[in-house]
Amino acid sequence: MHGTNLSRWTMSYFVVALSALLLGEILMAAGYGFPSAPIRAPETLVLVHVVAIGWLSLLLCGALFQFVPVLIARPLYSDSLPLPTLLFIVAGLAGLVLGFLQRAGMIEAGVSPLPYAAASLTIGFSLALWNFGRTLCTVRPLTLPASFVAVALVCLAATVTLGVAFSLVLGLNIRHGALLKIAGQGLPLHLIAGIGGWLTFSAIGVSYRLLAMFMLSPECEGRRTQAVLWLGTTALAIAILGGLATLLFDKGVHLALLAGGVLGFAAVVLYGMDVLHLYRARKRRVIELNSQMAALALVSLAVAVVMVVVLIGLGQLSEQIGAVVFLLVFGWLSGLGLSQLYKIVAFLTWLECYGPVLGKTATPRVQDLVDETRARKWFVLYYLSVWAATAFLLAPYLLGFRLAVAAMIVATLGLTVHLARSRLLSQVSAQSGLPEGTRRPHLLVSIARPS
Amino acid sequence: MTQTFVDLDVRPILRGGGEPFEKIMKTVEALKPNQGLRLYATFKPIPLFQVLGAKGFTFDARELDGGDWEVLFRRSTAPEPAAPVLPNAPSEGTEWPEPVQHMDNRELDPPEPMVRILAATEELESGQVLSALLCREPTFLFPELAKRGHEWRGDFEPDGTTYKIFVRVGQRPNTSET
Repeated sequence: MHGTNLSRWTMSYFVVALSALLLGEILMAAGYGFPSAPIRAPETLVLVHVVAIGWLSLLLCGALFQFVPVLIARPLYSDSLPLPTLLFIVAGLAGLVLGFLQRAGMIEAGVSPLPYAAASLTIGFSLALWNFGRTLCTVRPLTLPASFVAVALVCLAATVTLGVAFSLVLGLNIRHGALLKIAGQGLPLHLIAGIGGWLTFSAIGVSYRLLAMFMLSPECEGRRTQAVLWLGTTALAIAILGGLATLLFDKGVHLALLAGGVLGFAAVVLYGMDVLHLYRARKRRVIELNSQMAALALVSLAVAVVMVVVLIGLGQLSEQIGAVVFLLVFGWLSGLGLSQLYKIVAFLTWLECYGPVLGKTATPRVQDLVDETRARKWFVLYYLSVWAATAFLLAPYLLGFRLAVAAMIVATLGLTVHLARSRLLSQVSAQSGLPEGTRRPHLLVSIARPS
Repeated sequence: MTQTFVDLDVRPILRGGGEPFEKIMKTVEALKPNQGLRLYATFKPIPLFQVLGAKGFTFDARELDGGDWEVLFRRSTAPEPAAPVLPNAPSEGTEWPEPVQHMDNRELDPPEPMVRILAATEELESGQVLSALLCREPTFLFPELAKRGHEWRGDFEPDGTTYKIFVRVGQRPNTSET
């Protein structure tokens, strides 16, 4: 029966994350990195890490600092660690980008910043893991959503570890046998641990709770949800650990990826059935924009899974893997992230500003902080442009892709303005002003005060 | 009973805009039976007086130079046996009066259940109790109740889906200084 306080630095994480999303989109529209450059080119690595670390990982860390305590009804272990965590991750990302730019020949060759970047990212993510781990370990047994997050955190550790191995080979030229094997063939494992484990598994866990909460649906706690957890965990373990073992023994990673893929497919199908149940069994008939738009992210996930099956059938998965990853990253993960951000920012801002006077004086509702009709247009433009960009990747038609990503930039900017207006109470204070005893929240920091 | 005091200075947290409630409660939970709490704060922590009063503490508040406050919380009686976490934990030793208001907030869109409970507490007299049914544990409500000096007890019903909370309204501060 512990309460949940406002996470102080979550808004800072969101602001940095959105900036990274826009930067990533601008790079793609400008023809920098994939698909304008090959998938393993340094330019693509710049793009991928800006999006995966700068946008998705920071978004998720910021959200989890607030929502892990909600998932387990326990306070966060440390409210002060998230700031150094953010600084180390941002510094590490900057170093990583510099290191890749150096490899691309855009900055002068010299001492590689990659090992320093890896060290900084390791410290940053270790601080996050320590904070989440200490928080989660206060509860036994974990709730199902929290179990997904726990598995995701283990995958984050695996992702960082593999990344460090790459940086040792690329940055320090260490020619150790095992490290060379990992650097040579471990990229799919790094990708699966990052996108499949860390990002998707946490998104699944958080979505179970958020969708149920916002739509007044019964919590998914049955055998099917447990099957999603165990199938998914086993799939990740086989793909990552099995893949690593086969790679180190020179057997190739394909068999482990295939076995993990089959189990992962089953897990995603069962997750889809759970999600359908959440939408169908909801008590709230008219759902808000965040739940409507989350549905489009879930559709993107379903389409990506179908794409994988079809591409395997056509024998073109390895050629078209970029399109699949693009749809997973921007349709599924980013779509879900943006749709939930839209609600989370408004709710946390509302609680921070009006919490002290709730019930004492008339206050706006959370819905009054947002303008769903206008925001819906930006969401629709976002998803349509993501789907168009995916189609252009499959075609392949480079100019079409870049134009579609340009439309994504416009949509993301539109949504960012809505998020900022919601955080700055532009919607409500213009109409009614702030009640006595309240204070306009800061853009970057949440400050709780005694009432 | 002879008591020693554990010092806790929450002024840096408050000056930094932080929320020290969890830290205070963690410290209180860790106190030994013969220990009290010496708390330093930037304001007179009136809501805390009720919260810790319910846990069997008396207080002695003193304003320091510069406007800060030192408060000594002493155990007035033997500590309540069944109150291991927050002020809300069901304490078998103390009887609460029957609720004067019942609310069924299970079908309300979030965060309306929280708003209605807080609004209802404003209408009740000190010591009166309200009960409410919710469709989940209201984790964001608890800090708001604590800041206002209210106590609560709550748990899931045997059906595992309905959360029932009782809120006992705390003493109203005489001044607006909080």
